[in-house]
Amino acid sequence: MRNYPPEVPVSSISAAAAGAAADLRLTRLFESMRPDLLRFAQWLTRDRALAEDVVQESLLRAWRSREALKDPTCSRAWLMTIVRREHARLYERKRLELVSLNDALEHDSGAFLSRDDSDTQALRSAILQLPIEYREPLIMQVIGGFSVDEIARELSLSASAVLTRLFRARNKLRTLYGLTPASDGSGTETPL
Amino acid sequence: MNCQDARLLIGAEPWATSRELAVHLQDCHACAEFQLEMVALEANIRRALEEPPSVVRRRRRPAVQPRWALAASLVLAVMATLAIWALRSENTLAHEVVAHVVAEPQSWVGIDAVSDAALSDVLHNSGVVLDATPYSVVYARSCWFRGHYVPHLVVRTAHSLATVLILRNETVDKPQSFHEDGLSGVIVPSAHGSIAVLAAGSVQLDDVAQQMRLAVRPLAAVK
Repeated sequence: MRNYPPEVPVSSISAAAAGAAADLRLTRLFESMRPDLLRFAQWLTRDRALAEDVVQESLLRAWRSREALKDPTCSRAWLMTIVRREHARLYERKRLELVSLNDALEHDSGAFLSRDDSDTQALRSAILQLPIEYREPLIMQVIGGFSVDEIARELSLSASAVLTRLFRARNKLRTLYGLTPASDGSGTETPL
Repeated sequence: MNCQDARLLIGAEPWATSRELAVHLQDCHACAEFQLEMVALEANIRRALEEPPSVVRRRRRPAVQPRWALAASLVLAVMATLAIWALRSENTLAHEVVAHVVAEPQSWVGIDAVSDAALSDVLHNSGVVLDATPYSVVYARSCWFRGHYVPHLVVRTAHSLATVLILRNETVDKPQSFHEDGLSGVIVPSAHGSIAVLAAGSVQLDDVAQQMRLAVRPLAAVK
């Protein structure tokens, strides 16, 4: 049996042990979400290396602020919100190098693609080429599982503006399948 | 609700439903068709976003000092790996449930309640019955899943649709929550196997799961 110096109360030892166990659980939780966070970040940044950095920084921030995570069942949305903000911060800090997306996209060997594969590839390219104001809410909704109200809060928009952006994002993708784009009529978004 | 409002809602949340939208879709064939198209497109979008984009690693910035890794010890990392490995088998069921639901996008466009006879057929095919629930069932199909026919239902809750799979042959030790491809879900143990509930919108999954747990009974138990 391990002996502790007499000046260390047993209660503080057990508190430290409980804290370590909680940290361990949180570490497991965060790490288990890293692939999802990376996928989310890659669709936002359109750059794998940048996405890795964003996720790395986000996990560090999350770890430092772990006390703020009251309910671990909300950790996925919490972490994705941190990733999104970290990505937004990049634009505040500096102007990112702009590259032609067509140059940046990897082109798989078309000879081995089935019709379905090429359709999916075309759709992925189309999503990547959506302007960030449309791509971001779409990715938050589809990958992040955020509701319209949650997206509105996060992007400081009204719910109707988010609805319009989501509609426009999908409307742009419709044309890829030869479908007629629908009119959203308003042409404007309601600011928050 | 007019067509413009309906299309804005459908385009923004293809799977969402509301009483107003449902009423409009009953009378407007064009908007109903638009919803079918958007739901099909949605399935493709979800499939497209399943994997990260293939973008060339154009530059590698100097590696960030792994401060995060320093925050947790090497021992924690090893344990985390083991934990993830251990969780994989549990997550497989959730993953397959999500894949099944995403592959059946037509299930999200139901407007009218399924007839009692049709629902009964689907349930009997899997040897279960369903007592009354607060939800109307707008889609019911007997689906082949992991070697068995399972009832694949879509129920209308107050605000949105929720998919329910009654998995008599799958057991889970405890409730599992998951998020995948924009769908949130829970798989809860029931007296007879388990029940999976998924939704894309903000739905009280636990409430739906609890209601379905109480309502599902094996056919043999019916007097």
